[in-house]
Amino acid sequence: MSLQPPRDKRTSLADAAALVADGAMVALGGGLSARLPMALVRELIRQGRRGLHLVGSAHGVDVDMLVAAGAVRRCEESYVGFEQDLGLAPSYRRAAEEGSIEVAESCCVNILAQLRAAEMGLPFLPVRGVRGSDIATLHPEYKTITCPFTGETLVAVPALRPDVALLHAPAGDRYGNLHLEQPYVLDERFASASRTVIATVDELVSTEDVVAAGVTIPAHLVAATVLAPFGAHPTSCYPRYAYDRAHLREYVSAAQSGPDGLAKYLATYVNGSEESYQAAVGAERLAALTAWSRSTVDWQEIFA
Amino acid sequence: MSWTIDEWFVVALARTIRPAETVFHGFGSPCAQVAMHVARHTHASDMVLIEGAMYAINPEPPFIPPTSNDASLRRGAAYSMRFEEFFDAAIRGDVDRMFLSGGQIDASGNTNVTAIGPVARPKVKLGGGGGGCNLSATIGQLTLWTTRHRSGHTLVEACDFITDIGHRTPLGTRAELGFTGGGPQWLVTELGVFDFPGGRARLVQLFPDVSLAEVREATGFPVEAAGDLRAVRPPSVGELAAVRSVDPLGVRRSEFSPRELDRTFEPDAGPDCAC
Repeated sequence: MSLQPPRDKRTSLADAAALVADGAMVALGGGLSARLPMALVRELIRQGRRGLHLVGSAHGVDVDMLVAAGAVRRCEESYVGFEQDLGLAPSYRRAAEEGSIEVAESCCVNILAQLRAAEMGLPFLPVRGVRGSDIATLHPEYKTITCPFTGETLVAVPALRPDVALLHAPAGDRYGNLHLEQPYVLDERFASASRTVIATVDELVSTEDVVAAGVTIPAHLVAATVLAPFGAHPTSCYPRYAYDRAHLREYVSAAQSGPDGLAKYLATYVNGSEESYQAAVGAERLAALTAWSRSTVDWQEIFA
Repeated sequence: MSWTIDEWFVVALARTIRPAETVFHGFGSPCAQVAMHVARHTHASDMVLIEGAMYAINPEPPFIPPTSNDASLRRGAAYSMRFEEFFDAAIRGDVDRMFLSGGQIDASGNTNVTAIGPVARPKVKLGGGGGGCNLSATIGQLTLWTTRHRSGHTLVEACDFITDIGHRTPLGTRAELGFTGGGPQWLVTELGVFDFPGGRARLVQLFPDVSLAEVREATGFPVEAAGDLRAVRPPSVGELAAVRSVDPLGVRRSEFSPRELDRTFEPDAGPDCAC
């Protein structure tokens, strides 16, 4: 497939999400509670997507919500949860324990090597660890090899080429040039390893502005770009907004309570549209999340 | 001056860092995270601190937030590594120490952060290991920790699932597996401190309100105690001040059960400052 020729890539959230087919291998950008592509996650749930194979490093509410909505067949991340603070991912945990999803838990290093192999057009790359870890038992596709130069035993992990990568950026232009702030996590690797890259941005800016801020992911890798203000909420997208810990706590609590609680959360926040989502969260709360830069006290108060 | 177990525990973790080391913690690890900043503000001011998940080098965060990917954690850092820069450095052997925890830890220092019970239909699906199954193979030394030793479920004879690699797995020793890192060097729990002579955990220090019998009761493998088993050295004024200034939100406390957080300590009679 050739690189994306320059053109106006702006589209609607619904049309962008429609590029994700049932059963697709979907790479999720961001990590933990930072810059997760939540507007696209919510739209995939609205569209009733099924059978997805999710790939990522360390994730949280994105994977858990997709699993809760029944959109997921297979999970291949290095971690899914809400860290020490809010604990295990309730829906992911329940689905894994019931056996209703395939858990192909991976390792950041393996996923990185697999994406790099795809970027380079190679069938595999070797890694040094893994042997002795039961993570190997979850991946019959890994093979033990002998280095032809040193004779060392290494583990070959196959190229991983997601069908589609979902990324969220604070700013981008109409052509798909994206500016990100650290942590980039695997977004750059996903952008060149995946067949199709869909980006949501909090703000559409001129090419001049995105160049001035620094292009992290170039337009020639991006197929579609969607204006989605607060598109990472309830996760963070610096420099715009911090993560919404109180909202995540509300989600985790709803997910822990079981199907009724989850259905209520989805009805309140997700099932409508991004506009109704923001209205349900409240303009005051969203504005408070952007106040992090005023002072250390303001910043700390967001996390209370 | 009095202090609580969470403060002392973090100080005990910090002391496992040696000057000039390059040190990393994984995400969701508030005690290790606070400990690294405490070490950098006390005995290891020349360390290279890699802030977990942000991969920021020697930041000065205004506070430790409850999530590991927050921009506060790169404040004051001249540079944040890319994801791949960090993992490359760790794999080629440029990272001297990493902190690792687990829902289960065995006597060889293998840890389980994947699943309790059979992984196909687990009793509890845990979050997952991040980069641990490779990092534990190549990083210089590992400091393991748990704040759940007393539960009796954490230090076990054998992990239900080995996520991160200790000194010996059913497939062989680290040397036999060709791993370049040294493996677990310390295991710090809310009850005491273990080292790993010959690759097996040995109790070397106890917190003073804990007996050897309590440790044996809480541990799923036979506990060998060092001949010179001693109390954990109390925190210095400087160490305590560092803990409190690094972690004003007290995120370290989220790792402890409420019962443990009631443990408070006073210095023994005698001068309580180093002046």
